[in-house]
Amino acid sequence: MTSPLDTPDDDWWNTKINRRESLWLGISGLWSILIFGWMSAYTRIGDQNPIGETFETSPEEFQQAISEYQSAASERDDGAIVPADTDVYIAGLQWQWLGTPVVLEAGTEYDMHLSSLDVQHGFSIRPRDSLSKHMNFQILPGYEWVLPMEFDETGTYDIVCNEFCGTGHRTMHGTLEVVEEL
Amino acid sequence: MTLLTSDDDYDDEGFRTCSVTGLDIHQTAEGPVKLFGLTAVIAMLIGGIFALTVATTRWEVIGLLGPGDFYQHLTLHAWNLLIFWMVFMEIAILYVGGPMVLGRRLPLTIAAKAGWVLMVVGALVINVSVFTAGGFPNENAPLLTGYVPLESPPAFYAGVVVFILGAVVAALPFFLTLWRERREFPSRSLPLVAFGAFITSIIAFEALVGGLIAFVYALLWRIDVLGSVDAAFYRQMYWTIGHGSQQINLAAMVTVWYFLTHVVGGAEVVSQKVSRTAFILYLFFINLGAAHHLMSDPVVSSGWRLFNTSYAFYGAAFASMIHAFAIPAGLEAGRRKRGKGGGLLGWLTSAPWTNPVFSATIFSIILFGFVGGITGVVMGQMQVNMTWHNNFATVGHFHGTVAVGTTLAFMGLVFFVIRTMFKRQLAFPRLASLQPYFYAGAMGIAVLMMMYVGLLYGIPRRTVSIVQNIPGTNFDFAAAAPLFAILGVFAILAIVAGAAFLLVAVASLLVGDRVTSPADNADLVPDGGAEDEGKPLHAYEMRGTFFFVLIFMAVFVLSYVANWWFLSELWSVGL
Repeated sequence: MTSPLDTPDDDWWNTKINRRESLWLGISGLWSILIFGWMSAYTRIGDQNPIGETFETSPEEFQQAISEYQSAASERDDGAIVPADTDVYIAGLQWQWLGTPVVLEAGTEYDMHLSSLDVQHGFSIRPRDSLSKHMNFQILPGYEWVLPMEFDETGTYDIVCNEFCGTGHRTMHGTLEVVEEL
Repeated sequence: MTLLTSDDDYDDEGFRTCSVTGLDIHQTAEGPVKLFGLTAVIAMLIGGIFALTVATTRWEVIGLLGPGDFYQHLTLHAWNLLIFWMVFMEIAILYVGGPMVLGRRLPLTIAAKAGWVLMVVGALVINVSVFTAGGFPNENAPLLTGYVPLESPPAFYAGVVVFILGAVVAALPFFLTLWRERREFPSRSLPLVAFGAFITSIIAFEALVGGLIAFVYALLWRIDVLGSVDAAFYRQMYWTIGHGSQQINLAAMVTVWYFLTHVVGGAEVVSQKVSRTAFILYLFFINLGAAHHLMSDPVVSSGWRLFNTSYAFYGAAFASMIHAFAIPAGLEAGRRKRGKGGGLLGWLTSAPWTNPVFSATIFSIILFGFVGGITGVVMGQMQVNMTWHNNFATVGHFHGTVAVGTTLAFMGLVFFVIRTMFKRQLAFPRLASLQPYFYAGAMGIAVLMMMYVGLLYGIPRRTVSIVQNIPGTNFDFAAAAPLFAILGVFAILAIVAGAAFLLVAVASLLVGDRVTSPADNADLVPDGGAEDEGKPLHAYEMRGTFFFVLIFMAVFVLSYVANWWFLSELWSVGL
């Protein structure tokens, strides 16, 4: 019987498969392996990987780390933070991005230390003049994520929160400025 | 409740033979199927009302709601449509796929009733607690996810626990049915639809256990039994049910595809071996997909992410591609066998396109595959996920799977149940016939717009009035406004099409002509039941299907390449 509502014939396992179906099994199987292979290879050969070290922390500890970072950093005339070295600290806090605005240099690899001091937030960043270029990361309280980033284009980058974090969620915004040379 | 228990044609043992499917249906199974189906339709009505308020808020030209109300409405939209409409339908599908297909009675009917009561109580508690939540700081709307440590009303978490327990209890009679079948016929294979329902039930069980862990954990924290919560642990457990429940939808929907293409289109199973293997792959691998939500997260290692997001080397995506061939091929071969398939696509053009059960099923298959399926795999690639995570494109993905794919299949199933179990003709037959076209078209376009605003403009999901104005900065997303206009119009049209479904369904139940004899439902039987036992099924041509899957693969490859190109244009990030 070939109805999906009936008990199949006893030898259903040995019934032949149509050659086009076999061919499709081959094509889709090959494609499955290929896309896994590419994703895996890209962690080695690609420049964009959401991979960084995670450290357990607490809101108090991270707050402390930010304070130390900010006192070591200098401040530009407009109040933007200029980090002392290549470590950059940004924390989500209902409803602002602590550690912004910050000024970075194009072509330098920074370690972005990301965490939250209260609830979960979404770190969503894009250059202002090119909205289609965006990256989005989940930010968790209790965990510090160190993501290396190297910007190659100068300009203003806007950071919005894209994880719901309470009534004021939509107002949560910060900027990062990338300049040719600091 | 006469609607649910009209029993004039059962024999002495409580069985009747369905004139459309030929199944022996016992009255103990039929009542619960109707009850769960009807409850699902009511959930759809509630969720649909909130769809309207959500859509008209995000279309900022209207901008209906402020932030406080919006998050509540969004939560209710999600829970009623994504969870209650789906899960009530799925319990009904288990009772169809188990007792009805096997020609058995539903055992333990008390569990079916108790499960239904628990699920309804849970759903009501969730709805009321969200609707009356006070807002910031400790009664935030939970949205679908209830991400800790953002605090929502404790009753919400309790309601979820009750609902999940109800679903487990309601599934027990199904498991017992299969147990008894195996005891009675130890060496007999299950029919494919029953097999699919069985796989669905195991996937569901895993998801529900994960959900219990997540929500009991959150509840204990909310009522101060636990002093603190771990956001990463919660995310991992939450997504066991959060994405697992969508895998239940998938497996149930695929089962419904095999069922409905057969009963109203004349499809047959071209290879039991291949289709069953695909279900087995689902069983082993599909729930790993829960990891899709943790691709852009800290904490989980990249090896863990690569293995899980790929369902262990794409075992489950491979399975879906198998069904993508097997189901249309079943239709093609089944129809060719009965002389209904001239040329490349004659089997399709000669199909019963005016029957909404058929058209809804076919649109579900096409749109789920092309829109929901492809995007799911592409956005589930670990690196590509950075450009999808939490933006509107994600919303587009799951509307492609659930709102277009699964919902259309279930709409078709509801129409079918109205005809064959409630024994009513569809009211407004012309509208009923057009409804799947209208819904698939409008929702399909709305879904594409959701993806475009997400990918091309990086518009966040789950937020309110952000396009025109973000308070405190001169930055905005106004460039996306034209696409939002298209999205707004088509979202509203899709909601109207959804309302047309409800109108037809409810009017049919209340005032539809009664189906009194097999002749009244004869139009549902494909080609009047024409049979031609010719050569074995695998020997029939499947080139029409092959043509379609090649188009599918081309679109898949193009989307894949486009998304990776898009990603490679970004600045460098990561180790």
